[in-house]
Amino acid sequence: MGTRLKDKVAVVTGAGRGIGRAIAMLMAAEGAAVVVNDLGTSVDGTGSDPSAAEEAVAAIKAAGGRAVANYDDVGDFKAAENIIATAMKEFGRIDILVNNAGILRDRTIFHMSEEDFEAVVRVDLKGAFNCCRHASARMREQKGGRIISMSSTSGLYGNAGQANYGAATDGIAGLTRVISRDLGKYGITVNAIAPAAATRMLAAVEVARQARARSDAAGMEAAGRGPLPRPQLDPEDVAPFAVYLASDAAANINGQFFAVMGGTISLLNYPAPVRTITKATRWRVEEIVALFPSTLGMELFNPAPAQTLMRE
Amino acid sequence: MGDILRGRVAVVTGAGRGIGRGVAMELAAQGAKVVVNDYGVSLDGREPTTGPAFDVVAEIKQAGGDAAPNTDSVATWDGGARIIDQAVQSFGRIDILVTCAGILRDRMIFNMSEEEWDAVLGVHLKGTFNCVRHAAPLMRQQRYGRIITFSSGSGLFGNPGQANYGSAKAAISGLTKVAARDLGQYGVTVNSICPVAATRMTLTPEVIKAREIRKQQGIIREESALRQLENLHPEDVAPMVAFLASDYAANVNGQFFLCAGTSYSLLSLPRPEKTIYKEGRWTLDELDEIVPQTLAEGLVNPAPPRG
Repeated sequence: MGTRLKDKVAVVTGAGRGIGRAIAMLMAAEGAAVVVNDLGTSVDGTGSDPSAAEEAVAAIKAAGGRAVANYDDVGDFKAAENIIATAMKEFGRIDILVNNAGILRDRTIFHMSEEDFEAVVRVDLKGAFNCCRHASARMREQKGGRIISMSSTSGLYGNAGQANYGAATDGIAGLTRVISRDLGKYGITVNAIAPAAATRMLAAVEVARQARARSDAAGMEAAGRGPLPRPQLDPEDVAPFAVYLASDAAANINGQFFAVMGGTISLLNYPAPVRTITKATRWRVEEIVALFPSTLGMELFNPAPAQTLMRE
Repeated sequence: MGDILRGRVAVVTGAGRGIGRGVAMELAAQGAKVVVNDYGVSLDGREPTTGPAFDVVAEIKQAGGDAAPNTDSVATWDGGARIIDQAVQSFGRIDILVTCAGILRDRMIFNMSEEEWDAVLGVHLKGTFNCVRHAAPLMRQQRYGRIITFSSGSGLFGNPGQANYGSAKAAISGLTKVAARDLGQYGVTVNSICPVAATRMTLTPEVIKAREIRKQQGIIREESALRQLENLHPEDVAPMVAFLASDYAANVNGQFFLCAGTSYSLLSLPRPEKTIYKEGRWTLDELDEIVPQTLAEGLVNPAPPRG
């Protein structure tokens, strides 16, 4: 047992399985009392099952840690308040919030239903907001806190077929950047991690991989597709860095975005101007047409170039 | 009048005022037929016959262009469907979609209400999705399309007090990147503008007051960019949008352009800046030792703790 998070209280959402469970386990092993939140839904957000959170709590306790289960839905503003209230009631405070709960419903943009878009944005993005909103009020009073949100490379790089998930996870990046500035002065840090690991959620991606193999075999173009997840990556690989960000050692890391994939951990850039054209008066479109290819448009990469021959 | 968009049909949301109006005027001036969308119903709920969308249509027609008004809300799935259908009904097709509609409800995260979150996400993110989703099948079918979304520096760089707006705008950036990959192969491009301009939305009394206070406290100087906000005209963004909507930008896809007045920048896409690697899982002891001198070296806390 370590002592990095001794006397700290953590809430980890979606902690019944996968990455969330691994983070909850390691935080508890470092001395934190943990609220293990998990509604216990399937990957697409349907159903509920308390056994996921219960089993994670039992595992933490068996290892000598402190934990309590919570089954509230992060996507519901009032229910999220109760998740944070559970930490206050059971352990007296909240020092660490890990936004990890998420669901997936992949579909290309021209086929995506309103429900598929709404369900994913509700859990993945609004769920993170809801928990941040309620936790930050408490952390501000305590003059300290750590918020770590799980985003995804889907939004960062743009994975085909994930308009909902890509929007939600890039939204988490925006949320992280904004509230790091809202909360930093109160001794609170807010950072995000884009993890890549083999979990139940990526098992759904495995279905996509098989579908892709079939379309490849049928001679369909593979251009414009994002990289496939590497199934050998353990969800436990993400936990040490999440715990590091939650520790006192990371007090000055705020508003940053990291990618963690197995033993590879990267700090991601903030967007910045790469090339700039300026003019004293308003541009005329013909001027941009003439100038663009040799300035802003130099070496642009089209992630999905137009196909001249398409099979339907 | 130019003609690089001759024969094209465009939908511009939030086109009654500000940047959207400037875009609608420019697209029309370049030969496109434009659906000018701006949400507005009269107080008693009757179909409006006056309002910003109608005013802009009149302006476009007066300048010799062609346009049709639409007053549906982007925030509903059916509203998005009707806006896109308006282009088909009025002009027979849709080639260009520009999503400018947006609202602001600033509040610090610890005080933000659910309503403030939902309202901003509903118009910006869901509104963008609703329109893109309904335009996409038609563009895919015709193997041609130009979608230009509006993101913002708020989400990309992080403006305090805008958890809702910054999240929505960053989410639009994710939506843009995914849609670019979903649609690129069908001859459809999806790009995004991060505008900086003085509009009804940005140059609010609160902003003007806050800027005065900051100036008095010596936090900002006379030549500060913010002070120059009045000089960033909303019409300045339009030529870049018209370019992205044209055939000349056929291979520009999934990109982000910062348009601050007449200064246009290509923005970098996310990429790793620094990386540490080991075979297998890092231990906490290893991270304690190596992170401060690698990943965290030189990091600046954008809002360091006070006192």
